[in-house]
Amino acid sequence: MRLSKAKLTGVLMSALGIFAVACGGGGGGGGGGALAAKQILHFPVFQDPKTWDPGKLDAEVDSELVQNVFDNLWRYDNSLNIVPDIASKVPSSSNGGISADGLTYTVSLRHDVKFSNGDALTSKDVLYSWNRAVALRGPYRSNLSAIDGYTDVVTEGKKFCAKGADPTVCATSVQTALAANDPKFAMKGLTAPDDYSVQIKLATACGWCLAAWSLQASTGSIVDHNAVASDPLNWWSKPAGDSAGAAASGQVGTGAYKMTEYVPKQSIKFKRVANWWGSPKPTLTEVDLDIKDASTMPTAIAAWEQGTYDLDGYGGNSTQPVADILRIKGNSRESKELLLKPKGRTTWVSFNIGYPSTGGPFVGESAAAKGLRKAFTLAVDKSALASTVCHNLLCAPATGGLITKGLIGYLGDGSDPLGKFDAPTAKSLLTQYDPDGSKTKNLKYSYNAGGLNDPVATFLQGQWKDNLGISVQLDPHPDASAFIADRLLGKYTMSRDGWQFDYNHPQDWYDNLWGSLAAGSNTSGYADPTGDPTVQPTYDSTLMSADGKPISEALSLYKQLAISQQNDVAYLPLYYSVGQFLIHSYLKGAGSTAQADFYWDGISILKH
Amino acid sequence: MTRGTLIYIGQRIGLIVVTLLVVSFGVFAAVHSIPGNAFISEHLHGQDLKDVLHQFGLDRPIPVQYWDYLRNVVHGDFGQSFVIQGQDITPLVLRELSVSMELGGSALIITVGMGMLFGVLAAIRQNTWVDYTLTTFAVIGYSVPSFVIATLGILVFGLWLQDLTGGTVYYKIAWDGTYGTIGELWLPAVALGLYTSGQVTRITRAAMLDVIQQDYIRTARAKGLPSRVVTLRHALRNALVPVTSILGPLVVTIIAGSVIIENIFGIPGLGKEFVRSITAHDYNITVAVFTLYAALIGVANLAVDLVYTAIDPRIRY
Repeated sequence: MRLSKAKLTGVLMSALGIFAVACGGGGGGGGGGALAAKQILHFPVFQDPKTWDPGKLDAEVDSELVQNVFDNLWRYDNSLNIVPDIASKVPSSSNGGISADGLTYTVSLRHDVKFSNGDALTSKDVLYSWNRAVALRGPYRSNLSAIDGYTDVVTEGKKFCAKGADPTVCATSVQTALAANDPKFAMKGLTAPDDYSVQIKLATACGWCLAAWSLQASTGSIVDHNAVASDPLNWWSKPAGDSAGAAASGQVGTGAYKMTEYVPKQSIKFKRVANWWGSPKPTLTEVDLDIKDASTMPTAIAAWEQGTYDLDGYGGNSTQPVADILRIKGNSRESKELLLKPKGRTTWVSFNIGYPSTGGPFVGESAAAKGLRKAFTLAVDKSALASTVCHNLLCAPATGGLITKGLIGYLGDGSDPLGKFDAPTAKSLLTQYDPDGSKTKNLKYSYNAGGLNDPVATFLQGQWKDNLGISVQLDPHPDASAFIADRLLGKYTMSRDGWQFDYNHPQDWYDNLWGSLAAGSNTSGYADPTGDPTVQPTYDSTLMSADGKPISEALSLYKQLAISQQNDVAYLPLYYSVGQFLIHSYLKGAGSTAQADFYWDGISILKH
Repeated sequence: MTRGTLIYIGQRIGLIVVTLLVVSFGVFAAVHSIPGNAFISEHLHGQDLKDVLHQFGLDRPIPVQYWDYLRNVVHGDFGQSFVIQGQDITPLVLRELSVSMELGGSALIITVGMGMLFGVLAAIRQNTWVDYTLTTFAVIGYSVPSFVIATLGILVFGLWLQDLTGGTVYYKIAWDGTYGTIGELWLPAVALGLYTSGQVTRITRAAMLDVIQQDYIRTARAKGLPSRVVTLRHALRNALVPVTSILGPLVVTIIAGSVIIENIFGIPGLGKEFVRSITAHDYNITVAVFTLYAALIGVANLAVDLVYTAIDPRIRY
């Protein structure tokens, strides 16, 4: 029996009809400016919340979501300027908000701020939130470390939180102490002269504090003590209740949105807070998130192409699969909806400089160690890396210092001598300092596998082979957490390193990555006298001096540090990351800064 | 149910419990021995990290941790997630198990339904175009890996069909809500069940060909019984025995396959959790998922063994 063409077509169409289920159409071009009737934003995220408690939060995906729920005294706008949030103005010496010695900040709060449950926000909430964040000893507590009395509260908090072998004991004990106004849990430098004023006295001058206190969804954020009291450990994981006062419960904040539903490993829903105190009033009525696994990113992109998702890339997910981004870039319609935005993330290679026990040819500040570091650095063509590995889409060559372009402390395009490619000089340095190759044989380059790290490692291996004649063994680590743990302890001779800034201030880089302040997280051991007393003793003193000055005066000192790092060849710069966002053209106001997603309260959906 | 059957069931359940203990301890010891943990980050390391590990009791010897874990599991408590702080695992994995069962059940229906239908049709139309077509289809089914079928399915029904029909008819890729609708379920279920249905088709066809050449079938036809009755009542029932014998392994194959399929389609089931919990060092979830899988496989095999007795009265325990 033979089927005719017509019958065959009929059979096929019937099969498609049975199998395929009709759904709404996909996204299209932008409308003419009129708003769509349905203002529900839908996008995927690729990680469950680790915690949404601002006192303990440390994951980008979490902060980018609940920055819409919790407010700080100040916040970053879409150009990374610090602007008032709950406070009525940004304090400065000129407006009297900062004392002449730089040690006292006087903050006036807005009088109209309310939590989503209707509780009015007063200065007591600020004191409660900041003291609580310090006592909980979360990863970002040091943002408040300059406040007088900080160390005392950390010590008290440790009594509960380090010995209980039970997180519930920690959270409940801290809550009980704070509710009882236990003075041991109150930083003495943090006081409330009245209901709408906060005075912050610092133990030491601090030029970076305002930047750190403004970091969204972190230790500077304000929480409702009544809601926390309802469940001190897990209050943040429950939908915000509408009851005020002692009956408050759930994830209550002062932001424009509140969490109304959370199904672990599946979905999260946020809804607009009715009669929100801020302005302009948000347009989106609801934000629906699907929680997906990172392995399904290509599927999520296909769903975005179908129109199921309005955008993709929010929630700390702006590093998309390369093949999909290239495909979209090559599609004339979809490429218009691809937003490439430099993110504040730099990747470099760290040499082991300050850990003699780990060893290797790069240890110390001898001419030979520096010369070999420089040889390995100049042997890498950073522009070629950006074009071959990143297709000039996913990253840009790091030629202006380690602080990313667009941030305070960026040194300028092409200003970093370590960002240059000079194969002849590299080869001559190698010949000079390792003429028989004995120092540089059996070298390993260690990195956490996955993403761009694999092709970057292969590229580096090729560059060192081609330009120096050295065979470097690749040492991939499938488990990132184990790799990071060993890397921070200085266990690798050469390793992938990187940093994504938290707040827009050079201190965030220099304190956390090098010198004795970074002890325990100083990958290279550079300028850390605890590892090698001979390295850079002046680094710490210059850094501390810079940290205590206003940014206008501190910049030249931070630049000195950068130049000394370049002279010492403390790193091999590779690339600045570029985030990829897929945003349908009917979305107005969606985008990203180098730090975080734009707030949802500025987004609206046009007719499409 | 005879006394012997009850004793047999009791023995098998005892064996399942022993298996679960061995599996859970093995997995517990293995995942706790993998370098790294769920807490470390560039902001949490050194003494602070040690404090957190101490808080969660992760700095104690593995047998001590396992004993505590086991005591809680006996009370139906699989503990809390390390990644989602404060999240109870028991309701989470039970929900995910139900999602996986929806998908696995759908795949099993496709496996058995389509596989047997095609097998019977191929046998009774032996050496015709029907036989050749269905046999070819079966060969393709068990030759092509499920992840290839899934990816092709998304491409064809999710993207190409949408373009072809101007966005009116297509497979919607993202899975909304906890459980899938028929519209969301059919493609992952087909991708998951096609491999096993191909096997069922082959075995059913072979079994049917063997049975329909038996004397008693010839006798039934000689007595004038309608062909449909001979096929369904006499031939198919006896052909079911070999088919049933492979159902146990097929269920295991479907469970294993669901790990890949759930990840490709983003289905919030146990298979997706299986991978995610391992990579995230969420130890308690990993052990719970492994243990549930082991229990599921044990129970499925027991159920298949019991079905034998219903199909073939000669089999007794």
